[in-house]
Amino acid sequence: MDIFLQLLINSLIAGATYALVAIGFSLIYSTCRFIPFAHGGVLVFAAYALYFLFSILNLNFGLSVILAVIFAVFLGWLLNVAVYKQLRKRKASSAILLIASFALLVLLESFILLLFGAGAKTFDFIKVAKGLEFFGAIITPLQVFIIIFSIFLLWLLFFFMKKTKIGKAMRAVADNRDAAEIVGISSEKIYMWSFVIGSAIAGVAAVLIGLDRNLEPTMGTSLMIKGFTGAIIGGIGSVPGAILGSFLLGLVENFGIWFLPSGYKDAVAFLILFVFLLFKPQGILGIKKNC
Amino acid sequence: MLILLGIYFILAISLQLAVGFAGLLNLGHIAFYAIGAYASALLALAGWPWWLCFLLAGVVAMIFGFLLSLPTNKLKGDYLALATLGFSFVVYVVALNWKGLTNGSLGLPGIPKPIFFGFIFSDNFNFLLLTFFVAFISYFIIRKITSSPFGKALEATRDDELATRILGKSTFKIKSIALMLSAFFAGLAGSLYAHYITFIDPSSFTLTQLIPIITIIIIGGLASLKGTIIATIILVLLPESLSFVGFPSSIVGPARQIIYSLILLWILIYKPRGFYGKVELE
Repeated sequence: MDIFLQLLINSLIAGATYALVAIGFSLIYSTCRFIPFAHGGVLVFAAYALYFLFSILNLNFGLSVILAVIFAVFLGWLLNVAVYKQLRKRKASSAILLIASFALLVLLESFILLLFGAGAKTFDFIKVAKGLEFFGAIITPLQVFIIIFSIFLLWLLFFFMKKTKIGKAMRAVADNRDAAEIVGISSEKIYMWSFVIGSAIAGVAAVLIGLDRNLEPTMGTSLMIKGFTGAIIGGIGSVPGAILGSFLLGLVENFGIWFLPSGYKDAVAFLILFVFLLFKPQGILGIKKNC
Repeated sequence: MLILLGIYFILAISLQLAVGFAGLLNLGHIAFYAIGAYASALLALAGWPWWLCFLLAGVVAMIFGFLLSLPTNKLKGDYLALATLGFSFVVYVVALNWKGLTNGSLGLPGIPKPIFFGFIFSDNFNFLLLTFFVAFISYFIIRKITSSPFGKALEATRDDELATRILGKSTFKIKSIALMLSAFFAGLAGSLYAHYITFIDPSSFTLTQLIPIITIIIIGGLASLKGTIIATIILVLLPESLSFVGFPSSIVGPARQIIYSLILLWILIYKPRGFYGKVELE
């Protein structure tokens, strides 16, 4: 029973972090209609920016966090303007955009590798606190914070998408770009907003993940894989779907350890992705589109 | 270095067959390369003759190509890219974790140099001749394939799958064969690599390895064999100048990836069809 509870808590923590990545990914994918691999690159850059500001420049932690998130937003915006917008201008297909974003992911990760080396980095901000006993399972206060904060952020985003003007316009573009343009919504502006908001969430995710584990240059790729797996399982373009998919992924991954050696944890994500792509490409909550 | 050029050329030209001619956006090409390398290394370490290991490396990769083509046949564009990427990742994780077979991250050392009827390809020059010979044969076969009626059917499938089906061609079969052939040559390239370096570990087969090959086929131009040759030469030799200048390898590795990805981005934005390309990715 203890193991069960521990695995459940681990699943929740994993699910919460995956959800943050998946949301940003899903937001960009639903409006811009291509797979933004580079989202993982933005995440890893934000995490290392925090490391640089806090651990090397010794800035105040709060300030470092804010600057890191601003940096993520700026980077997301820059990628959109400098690369994706140019490609859209000449009406490139989504496959071209996909390869471009893959190139950007490798570019960003290589820069990190060049600047900081391959070794793992830690923040040492919060001393590894003694885990709280929770019906026999162990969870650190930070991990409780991660779960609560991500739920809060996801709720905020949900509210933003439903109630605000920009949120509504984003959903309109995601649904039908041409119709949205006809009623006067500038799709370029909406793409820009998707990148800004998606990257901001990636920045926050980077901070939370960076506090919980070590930083490595390749973390962007692995988190990106988890993120888009979560988004696709749940139904691409649907915010609740991405959350559901991410928690589901967290559960399957962690409970998979019961049957498989832990090294295979990463492969599990892809096996699920594979199954969904084959049998239910629209995901659990997604709407069927031509794919 | 020239040996690597030959190996990259076989990889690029086989990917060209899948992506350029058949229009299958396959991001799992490195997996076939890895499968070929491991198959050949394991068989050779078990004492099988080199030429058999070499051919079986291609055949094993081809079988995996067939298996991958079964479920992914209906997928297109983005979804195919994700599924093949997933395949590549699963192969990598298995190579890393199935310690009984692959020795995990420690890798397989001591892979013997090729011996063919008593002749040992031990020094680099002989191996270079062997690589170029294989590269030339691969080029020749792939050129034959693409200019044959089957090649036309491939391009027809890429351009308009429905129309090809109406003409009575089984696009399922066509796409499946294209992926199998592509995997076969990637497996051969993997075998050459394993016997050249004599040591393989999973880190040689990560996703980032895909960037140079994709860059090559896009710069050369999709569905252009001539472009692939020229692009391979330029792209393999260009970053080598970095090592000549004398940067340490911890800088050369990432710097090479940065150069490749920048070139790739530049070409996608300004010259999307590459130098000799006939089509664009869809």
